[in-house]
Amino acid sequence: MDTHHQKDKQKDNNHDEKNWLEWLVFGISLLMLLAIFGYLGYQVKTYNPSDPEVMVEARHDPSAESPNRYQVTVMNKGGTTAEEVIAEFTLFSNGKEKETSELQIAFAPKDSKREGWVIFSVQPTASDSVVARVKSFKKP
Amino acid sequence: MLGNRPVKKSLKEYARGITGGLLFSFPLLYTMEVWWAGFSATPLQLLLLVVVTYLLLLGYNRYAGMRPGVSWRSVMIDSVEEMGIGLVLSYAVLLVLNRIQIADMALNEIMGKTIIEAMAVSIGVSIGTAQLGSDGQEEEEREHNEELEEEKKPGHIGMAVLAFCGALLIGGNVAPTEEVVMLAVEATPVHVLLMAVASLLLSVVVVYFSDFKGTTGKKPGDLWFWLTFDTCVSYLVALMASAFVLWFFGRFDNVSFWTAFSQTIVLGVLSSLGASAGRLLIK
Repeated sequence: MDTHHQKDKQKDNNHDEKNWLEWLVFGISLLMLLAIFGYLGYQVKTYNPSDPEVMVEARHDPSAESPNRYQVTVMNKGGTTAEEVIAEFTLFSNGKEKETSELQIAFAPKDSKREGWVIFSVQPTASDSVVARVKSFKKP
Repeated sequence: MLGNRPVKKSLKEYARGITGGLLFSFPLLYTMEVWWAGFSATPLQLLLLVVVTYLLLLGYNRYAGMRPGVSWRSVMIDSVEEMGIGLVLSYAVLLVLNRIQIADMALNEIMGKTIIEAMAVSIGVSIGTAQLGSDGQEEEEREHNEELEEEKKPGHIGMAVLAFCGALLIGGNVAPTEEVVMLAVEATPVHVLLMAVASLLLSVVVVYFSDFKGTTGKKPGDLWFWLTFDTCVSYLVALMASAFVLWFFGRFDNVSFWTAFSQTIVLGVLSSLGASAGRLLIK
């Protein structure tokens, strides 16, 4: 019985021993975890659950196939994620409203950028201007 | 404390862990609701998730792992390692799946996604390390130590911890999906009741036919007591696990008590099976 116990003890010790590889993995893991705790702790402290603040920008980005194409960037500067963002684009040509186009984006997380394109069917002219606005979004 | 455990052995163990991690968490890595949770979850929720997962890993490694009678210190170190492996794996998989775009995404979106997926992966790593085969030498050692096997048989706390792990493992794969909400909203009270009864029956069957093989010598009265007790604990633990995951994925936000309750029961069907059968598989 005693020898048995001793063997157990010895076995425990064996399992407690770690080689350099295990210590390395442990060290890196610990660093990562501490970094995450630090980061999350900081985030918790500075967390400000303000409403989403979605902005949209459009710039002319013609391609061979679609000459009147605009590249769209949707940004959320608010404190929380916006869902089902719908942006509307109105093409003005010579001061007149020519065409509208819409873009829907599933999610706009805070401080992240999402990109898309809208294409108008009319031929582009030099006096074209596009007014972009966010039509609607909801909280997830 | 630099031991002379062969590096080859450690590598083998890590390989097992990585396999298990991916095996058990791929469904979640491929689920979009989980990625969304990455940017919807508040920092406090993420912090809580990391802490809960660490506690779970401690519990699992203590009561299941293949190193019975191991010291708490060693269990804590192993759990940290498993989380580290989980984080690296989750980051790598999300990167490969193009769920992480370093240029366009804010740090908190990347962190959120990685952390949530990593928690699932690290539980998988833990289970993989403990369950996916072991080399012959260890098997031999084990056979020599029936006393240890005896010691490994978890007590009540251990049983509950394993049930919780099993419930999370099975229920967690489904919890983030919209289907749970849909089922819960469209179920009438009768359906919800049937689901609860079905989960209980499943638990009873599983517990009776598997866990009590060795207890034939006991008095029948004892058996019935333990059967009832075991089933109740399993189901309660399963419901707790379900409620926790559902809450984490924002399913309890702005819903009536009834909706939250029926969601828990709907998910409880799966997690109760996880708590009873899963517990037996992973112990």
